Amino acid sequence: MTSLFAVSDHLPSGRVPIEALAGELGLTPMQVRIFRRYHGLGEVSRDEGGSLLDLLRGAVAGLAALRGREHLVRYVLHARSFPTVVPYPHDPVRELCAELGLDAGVPVFSVGHHACASGLLAIDAAGRLLAADGGPGALALVLAGEKAFTPEAAAVPGSSFFGEGAGACLVSASGGRDRVLSYAVDLRGEFDTVADCAESESEFQRIYGEALAAVVRAAVERAGLSLERVTAVLPHNVNRVAWHQVCRVLGYPRERVVLDHVPTVGHVFCADHFLNHRTARQRGLLRPGEPYVMAAAGAGRGATFAAMVLQH
Amino acid sequence: MTSCDQLVSTICELLPVVLKREVSGADAGTALLDALGLNSTTGLELVLELEERLGLEISVEDLGRDDFATVGSLAAYVADHLLADA
Repeated sequence: MTSLFAVSDHLPSGRVPIEALAGELGLTPMQVRIFRRYHGLGEVSRDEGGSLLDLLRGAVAGLAALRGREHLVRYVLHARSFPTVVPYPHDPVRELCAELGLDAGVPVFSVGHHACASGLLAIDAAGRLLAADGGPGALALVLAGEKAFTPEAAAVPGSSFFGEGAGACLVSASGGRDRVLSYAVDLRGEFDTVADCAESESEFQRIYGEALAAVVRAAVERAGLSLERVTAVLPHNVNRVAWHQVCRVLGYPRERVVLDHVPTVGHVFCADHFLNHRTARQRGLLRPGEPYVMAAAGAGRGATFAAMVLQH
Repeated sequence: MTSCDQLVSTICELLPVVLKREVSGADAGTALLDALGLNSTTGLELVLELEERLGLEISVEDLGRDDFATVGSLAAYVADHLLADA
């Protein structure tokens, strides 16, 4: 059973108030006010002058369990919200692998097209690859995190602002820590035109809460559990109100959804779950043997709703 | 004290402001999303404009899509969620 052998994250120290981003993103003062009052967004993390390699390196630096196990890494996966995360020909993931002393023959690839739910897809894919041919003790290094280096990568119109940061985890095909009990995905190709069509965007907004709640429910049922037993939900940090809506649909207490970083960090692409994992541990929301959920919605070319149940 | 009727009337006054067009004959039963084409952004603008007009703060924590069904449902939400002076 896929498990997370170790989890880490990195947040740079820089913070920018969303009002300071309004000009470059063409937002009106009213739109910014709505983001602050209604969506609960306030500041976003930024690593001014830093590179994607800096962010990923910071996350991996927290993976103490990797040291001495570099030779066991069979795959490296970078989960991406956006297909292009650096200008050609930069390749920060391969640079990082070289720095870490990983075997030069280790397959390195990106996982995407589930937008901000790609982190969960990467964990699932890593576990399945290792189960197929990993060998004893084999590990996969899953990375997440991007630079808000274009207007498109700085904000989700009407929903969120992206924050810079990164997450990393070591996945194994079996193990006792943070075992993946189930993974459910609802791919909605009909929302391929959300960015271009007001009607499609309105429909996406209408079904968002219900669809995300439904996939959480599906994952919990697939794990043979009831939602009452779930000690915490680790969300994507899109905004506060979207998750409050999901809580209303599910009848799940919003104080157990780790939304702590929404106002001060923003939506850290696919790395939110790793960041929120640390926060949930610190808040005592993850208890040994108890299940928790990681869930996300991704909107890009098509929409993805995904949820994973893990046992801490 | 702000009554629901007063809120309906104020919301109807603000509709042309947020929709940036004339809106005639709106009342408590007018469907905001379907008939007037209010979307999530203009809906929230309406709530924030209402705060300014009333000089009161409205708790938006529990504000959901259903509350924007009609002018009357939004007025009912606002009446139940008025906080202190803005």
